[in-house]
Amino acid sequence: MNNSRRDLLKFAGISAAAAAVTGCSAVTGGASSTASDTKTAACKLLGKHQVVIIGGGWGGLTVAKELKKIDSKFDVTIIEKNDSFMSCPFSNANLGGLNGVNLSMLTHDYAQAVEKNGYGMLTAVVTGIDREKKVVHTSMGGVAYDILVLAPGIDYNYKEQFPTWSDAKIAQARRAAPGALVPGGEHVTLDRMVKNMDDGDVIITVPSGKFRCPPAPFERASMIANFMKNEGIEGKVIMLNETDSISKGAAFKESWKEINGDMVEHRSNCRIVDVDFDKKEITYEQTVYKDEDDTDGVKTSKTIKYSVFNLIPHNMSNPVIEMSGVATTPDAFKKVKMASSADKPVSFQTQSDASVYAVGDVVGHAIPPSGQTAIWSGKECAKEIAHVLHGKSYSVASALPYTSANVCYSMVNGNPEEGIMVNHEFMVAGPVIGSKGSVPKGDEANNKFRSTGLGKAAREWYRGAMRDLFN
Amino acid sequence: MDRRNFLKVVAAGATVVAVNPSLIRGNLYASDGTLYKAYERTQLTDASGNPIKASILKKEVNYIFNYPYASTPCMLINLPQATEKDVKLKSDSGEEYVWKSGVGKEGTIVAYVAICTHQLTHPTPNESFIAYVPKAVKTMAYDKSGVIVCSSHLSAFDAGAGGRVLGGAATQPLCAVVLEHKEDDTLWAVGILGQDSFHDYFKEFRPELKEFYGGMAEAKKLVSFSVKTVTLSEFTKEIIQY
Repeated sequence: MNNSRRDLLKFAGISAAAAAVTGCSAVTGGASSTASDTKTAACKLLGKHQVVIIGGGWGGLTVAKELKKIDSKFDVTIIEKNDSFMSCPFSNANLGGLNGVNLSMLTHDYAQAVEKNGYGMLTAVVTGIDREKKVVHTSMGGVAYDILVLAPGIDYNYKEQFPTWSDAKIAQARRAAPGALVPGGEHVTLDRMVKNMDDGDVIITVPSGKFRCPPAPFERASMIANFMKNEGIEGKVIMLNETDSISKGAAFKESWKEINGDMVEHRSNCRIVDVDFDKKEITYEQTVYKDEDDTDGVKTSKTIKYSVFNLIPHNMSNPVIEMSGVATTPDAFKKVKMASSADKPVSFQTQSDASVYAVGDVVGHAIPPSGQTAIWSGKECAKEIAHVLHGKSYSVASALPYTSANVCYSMVNGNPEEGIMVNHEFMVAGPVIGSKGSVPKGDEANNKFRSTGLGKAAREWYRGAMRDLFN
Repeated sequence: MDRRNFLKVVAAGATVVAVNPSLIRGNLYASDGTLYKAYERTQLTDASGNPIKASILKKEVNYIFNYPYASTPCMLINLPQATEKDVKLKSDSGEEYVWKSGVGKEGTIVAYVAICTHQLTHPTPNESFIAYVPKAVKTMAYDKSGVIVCSSHLSAFDAGAGGRVLGGAATQPLCAVVLEHKEDDTLWAVGILGQDSFHDYFKEFRPELKEFYGGMAEAKKLVSFSVKTVTLSEFTKEIIQY
């Protein structure tokens, strides 16, 4: 944006909108005086907004920014539990100890984005959603909406994966072996564990089912191996994969073989049986299949010791989805069922409620749960909502098929910095958006998937995305 | 018209284009002039400061010059064929404007601000992700080459049609540099067409601009009189192209 006069006028518009948002918190104060009229804190209404977005991550921030960009008069507010943002994408580069990458590079405050884009933000935990009354209940009070966007991201499903574990043991797992797919403290914990580690092995589990950022565990293995090598730490990085599927598989395998040698080991079809977090021991059962026809396989039970354990549990939609009561898929992840009709074959509107939309990792579309996909979903969702608010119609199908819809890089080496990539095309696939990925060779001359160019691209990809979300 | 920049030009004491900014040589670019900004008429020269003649520009080579600011890179390309004419383009905010055509004898020479409209990726002295991909070279970003590609997120832009978006994450055309080709075969940059992002660029790349240009004041200086044009491979250490 330039400093033209028009923009000054736009800024004026933003100040007005910002004032309205401040008004929201003023209402908080005002409401407390009438609190005697209401029985519980949950009933206290903070205010009402045209569009309320739950979640200030990649998807939610984009919906808010795009709506304000389309029409600065839209009254948009985000409800987010954290008061600052941390990026999960590119966080493995921090674990790898890459030059100039640190936790602060992954962390952003929301202040600038709110100031500049003119949406509101309420720091609060969502405690309930009343779709009949169109109110989101939060730890700070109720927020009424005309349109609700669910962008809460994922949570872990320890209970499903480890039905015999007590709540105390799950809490210990969160502390002693953080999943580090949900940004915030978990990333800080894993960073500390890796940076302070003694000689010994790092174990990373790869869950079955849909999980956030499919290449993440594999990139993490490459990056932690890079760190250990640079620091002269004796040990291996071992991935215990519940299935045998590896995102960007051929490209990762090339790197592990040629860069890491014996230091990185991928083990397929490994189910975690139990973990003793005090003894730092993992017991797992590996199934080895003779051939494709062998469905039973031979199971062997093994116990290994670890120095650092990154237990990435099964993923599921954040509980906010269940609170909303919108229809979800029958699998354990509970993806949100999306609307589909003759004139709008694919949509970010939920199947259950025309006033409720969903973006990001929770959607029921067959598109990768990645940062860039969340940004694209956010933009398309904002277009759909803006058209509704303007009394018009928009179909996401008009933007499809879309080539280079999801361009995603993974770092595989630190010295020199090298990356690999996947490029997805999105298309209409029945009632949902489908995707098709291809893993190109970054270094065609040498017939290699990895290249220094892709390593640089990974950094620029991240910087660009942050400019998009926070500018 | 960007009032602030206008004042800066006046302060610099340079030759200000005093006509209605939407009119250059009688050509209407944008109905209200919002998306066209005239800057100082600046001659493109080679690295030694000699005026560049349009006829010596190699076909399909990426040339870089900084305009209208000392730190805002623009690409100059001599395309293999004449461009489209009077291309209607639309900014993200919905404003429509018209890109006239390429210049030169065959109407093949074009220039664009080399800052991606998606997330501001641009060539730096260290590396470049955005460039014209010659027809003989394949790109992942689009099914045909002979287009401008930003390899950061694989956005493709039509080099022969005002920087129109062809694919990828970008939604807004590249900003075009309005060029003039004189009878003596010299080339001049006169203004910027499209929704520019110079303000964001200066804000986002403060540390880099300080490093490469010695300070923000230097980086934000408007170019004056003439500007050096070099090939992209001279401008940057590494060209990253997919």
